[in-house]
Amino acid sequence: MTNGKLIFDETRRILFAAAVALLMALVIIFIASKTPFETFNTFIAGPLSSKRTIGNWIDDSAKLALAGLAFSLVFQARQFALGVQGQVYAGGTIAAAIALSPLGMSWVSIPLGALAAMLAGAFLGFIPGYAKAKLNANEIVSSLMLNYIAYDVANLILRLYLASPKSGLTASEGFPRSAVYPAFVQHTRIDLGVILALGSVAIVWFLLYRTAWGLRLRLTGHNARFAAYSGIRSNFIMVSAMTASGAIGGLLGALYVQGQGFGKIVVGFEGGLSFEGILIAIVARNRPLAIPFVALGYGYLRQGAALMGYRTDVPAEVIGIVQGIVILLVASSFTLPGRAFLNRIMGGSAAARAPST
Amino acid sequence: MTPFLEAIGIDKTYPGGVHANKSVDLTVSHSEVHAIVGENGAGKSTLMKILFGVEQPNAGEIRLDGTPIHLPSPRAAIAAGIGMVFQHFSLVPSFTVAENVVLGVEPRSGLRLDRKRAAETVQALADRFRLPVDVEAPVERLPVGQQQRVEILKALYRDAKLLILDEPTAVLAPQEVVELFAAIRSLTEQGRTILFIAHKLPEVIEISDTISVMRAGHMVGRVPKAEATEAGLARMMVGRDVALKVTRAKPGERKHLCRISGLTIKNDRGLDAISGMDIVLRAGEIVGIAAVEGNGQSELFDAIGGLRPVETGSVELGGIDITAVPVDQRRDAGMAHIPEDRIATGSAGGATVAENFVATELEDERFVRHGLLDLGAIRAHAVELIDHFSVRVNGPDAAIGTLSGGNMQKVVVARELSSNPKLLLVSHPTRGVDLGATEFIWQRLAVARDAGSAILLTSADLSELLSLSDRMIVLYRGRIVAAFADTTELTPETLGSYMLGFAEQPENERRAALS
Amino acid sequence: MNAIIETILSAAFVAAVIRTTTPVLFASLGGLLSDLVGSLNVALEGMMLIGALTSVIVSAYAPWYVGVLAGIAVGGMLGALMALFHLRFKADVILVGFAVNIVAAGGTVTVLNYATGGDKGTSINLPSKAIPALDLSFLNAIPGIGPVLTQMFSGHSYLTWLAAFLVFAIWYFLYRTPEGLRFRAVGEYPAAAEAAGISPNRLRTYGLIASGALAGLGGAQLAMFNFVGFTRDMTAGRGFIALGAVLLGRRHPVGTAIAAVLFGAFEALSIALPGILPQVPGEVIHSIPFVVTVLALMLSSRRRIAA
Repeated sequence: MTNGKLIFDETRRILFAAAVALLMALVIIFIASKTPFETFNTFIAGPLSSKRTIGNWIDDSAKLALAGLAFSLVFQARQFALGVQGQVYAGGTIAAAIALSPLGMSWVSIPLGALAAMLAGAFLGFIPGYAKAKLNANEIVSSLMLNYIAYDVANLILRLYLASPKSGLTASEGFPRSAVYPAFVQHTRIDLGVILALGSVAIVWFLLYRTAWGLRLRLTGHNARFAAYSGIRSNFIMVSAMTASGAIGGLLGALYVQGQGFGKIVVGFEGGLSFEGILIAIVARNRPLAIPFVALGYGYLRQGAALMGYRTDVPAEVIGIVQGIVILLVASSFTLPGRAFLNRIMGGSAAARAPST
Repeated sequence: MTPFLEAIGIDKTYPGGVHANKSVDLTVSHSEVHAIVGENGAGKSTLMKILFGVEQPNAGEIRLDGTPIHLPSPRAAIAAGIGMVFQHFSLVPSFTVAENVVLGVEPRSGLRLDRKRAAETVQALADRFRLPVDVEAPVERLPVGQQQRVEILKALYRDAKLLILDEPTAVLAPQEVVELFAAIRSLTEQGRTILFIAHKLPEVIEISDTISVMRAGHMVGRVPKAEATEAGLARMMVGRDVALKVTRAKPGERKHLCRISGLTIKNDRGLDAISGMDIVLRAGEIVGIAAVEGNGQSELFDAIGGLRPVETGSVELGGIDITAVPVDQRRDAGMAHIPEDRIATGSAGGATVAENFVATELEDERFVRHGLLDLGAIRAHAVELIDHFSVRVNGPDAAIGTLSGGNMQKVVVARELSSNPKLLLVSHPTRGVDLGATEFIWQRLAVARDAGSAILLTSADLSELLSLSDRMIVLYRGRIVAAFADTTELTPETLGSYMLGFAEQPENERRAALS
Repeated sequence: MNAIIETILSAAFVAAVIRTTTPVLFASLGGLLSDLVGSLNVALEGMMLIGALTSVIVSAYAPWYVGVLAGIAVGGMLGALMALFHLRFKADVILVGFAVNIVAAGGTVTVLNYATGGDKGTSINLPSKAIPALDLSFLNAIPGIGPVLTQMFSGHSYLTWLAAFLVFAIWYFLYRTPEGLRFRAVGEYPAAAEAAGISPNRLRTYGLIASGALAGLGGAQLAMFNFVGFTRDMTAGRGFIALGAVLLGRRHPVGTAIAAVLFGAFEALSIALPGILPQVPGEVIHSIPFVVTVLALMLSSRRRIAA
């Protein structure tokens, strides 16, 4: 398959997913809203309504891209580690601790915060990987449990050490200016985080497609037994993929607390965004270079939904329904996008069905 | 008298474009043993799958007792009285024989499964058709020959009038074949009809009443037993007089390359798969291992290949102890491995052909420097190997999963031979591969041997083993029971008596052939 | 330390364990039935959540048992939906399961918002009903241990007794009936079942439907007995813990039940602890069931390798 055809196919897939998402949103809005046209208008045009909302869209997209990148890395190795959420809390907490320490008075706290956050996330990603490699423990359950544990620990640290009494112990003081990512566009949330996200995408792409480690990882994902037979140490690959993915999750935590959006740490700051990375990874088929585009598209819908929640009678949470349905449909079309997939949805001619393996 | 089964004008093209059956006619009489012979890839298996409802023909009609029948699924075929025993058995390992036989059509008393009645019914069937087996034993503990009986019992329990046996003798030793044939005769005496797929001609002539021959998707002939000769059938099967021949290694003194001493390996259930094996392999020879499936050969190859731990003993290759080292270090020491399953073990289906070629070479400076891939070199390497091994593929960037079986096997063979291995492990190198590719792969193995590789070969096909091996050993229940320094005079019958454990060579004779 | 031991050994604690175990036990048994036929159901969490909300809303307008039945029905329907996408459209079962979880998280809040007229947090202004408790105080009459037995076993939800019965019923089904034989055959070696004329996908569909129904039942118990009323994200990981119990219980109903009781016990402990040890931070106590699950998973898996 040539690169041109690949890009064409992938673009078509992504546009298909976007169309499905819009259609679902439309249906839900018409069922749920008393003023469907105005609501839909808010949903579809809201993100572009002001400089601030455009900024929020871009910022959310950067975060979604990182979350998607973290998932795509483990998914490419065919590991179902779902621990990004916990890594975000771990990374955010340690970045906040650095920003609130005397180091926060210097610009050093930005690289240092990112680095420390990545280490914390990597450690959290390493645990389920190691437990699977050495103890054969199912990574799905162990990574999910770690999410809950990390959340509790993050809240504990926040309450005991970082929180300000003014906030009722649910948030810290604002970080010093020097510890907050500089905004590129004044009065928006477009900040250094966007660069970090794009840089991460480039690095992960390079690692996956230009290094021996990446090839080993992808071969392990395709067929773990073949990898072992070839002399690839697939346990090492599996653990390192989960660890690297954890580092990205941790970085996302730093992006949250040190970004213009917060500039402080708050209980539950992540707000469930991490799991939306699953959608990004699936729609992008785990390909790093597709992730920013998917993140921008989905980020737009998400921002539209949030504004709809503020301004209309439809709650923002409907985006969860749209998201789930898009995952269902896109995951179904993994092998047969486009027309064959539609045929299957419409009842399925025998020819369109996937050959049994 | 109407024939029992008629297939008229059966045509089948697979979605991938392979035209497997070309307007095939087949007529089978009541209570006969009807053999279908043909080379691998001649379309026998496809025809049988159509008769059993696994595959749907693009055209043609099937008649049973003169009535046209439609077979959309194996269920429908079973309901019509057709049973099939595949080469790969479909038995639940932990279930007993009786449970496996009744599965799907269970006797019940109220809500409960009636185990007593199940056992009695299966026992009665086994007695009636001369298929002795312990009905209460879990099938995972039974030898292959008895597992095959369980498969036959399953079909009979469902009252199959026509029983299709897909290469039933491939996994059996010669003496087990004798028992199977006795059962087949007892079946036809009691009014059952047998369709027997095979490619070993002497057996076919012995057991069949009628023989149909397929070649390249066509039905090319139908011969009554009385008129059948091996040479005649072979000519019909191949379409020309060929006998695959591989030159033997030239005699002479050869240095020891690989020493296996006191090797013991456990199987998945924790029992000894190989116990206390000693053998020395020399440069420039092919050592064949003959064994009935499940006698430790798979575990032996996995263990030397580094996919299974060794319990005790050692494997030494070119002076390096590789008993417990990871696969990459074994490959560095000069090991290569053509595994028995090219899809499950030998390739990564979703990755490209180029990536599959380079997967074993990721430590090599030619392709990887400072951890970075040299994509140009990887691609050039792939193009070169594709050309050298005449792999039919669109290019190095095609996913290997899209290749046909023979071409995929060529990729595996090319990759493993390209490292100029000292020790080459080869399992079933031509299983499911067409004749042309088989000839090619055999020659390549001979070339590698002449270049100084020590090759350890196993195959379910005794004729392949006898054609290629310079020395042979026989494994029975994980032990070497016979060894032959010279294979020119060996016959399948001699090997068979050892393979089944009926005979054991004297210790000194064996030892002489092992060093 | 003594205070903890005293608490654990008390009849009230046993009663608390039974209470916390019931919802998780339902979901684990459900997870077992789908895992056994080859589809790991990671959607237990979302199915419980949707089951909980459905039973709460329905019970506000109908008798309590109709609410419970609605929870079962909606769970079963979600299972059927998973089966459709996983088996018919060949989507990865884990992704399908997560899609259900995501729909559940957003969808329950959305629906709650409409059902309560604008409250996105709790169903406090819905007059939802509770499942009645089974009064076994006649046990008091037994001399000596009577009062203790009453304290342990009286006053539990009807569904608790149903859950206990289901452990036995599922064991009987799997190991004594022909259908159970087929279930196990599909789980161990689908090709064999298929060759015997059994459709593995049909049994997988049944497994997923049963697992959804049981998870829905667990949700109903949670929102109509353990708590009365629905709160946002009220399952709080119980569905994932149930999945852990399935893995820990080695695909056997009794093993799964024991694992569920173990997790239930630690949840009960985390409820009782703040009263005994006020100096331990709430976050630490809250994380106990999760820590126990992940540790149990690691330790039990290791034993399996060694065996």
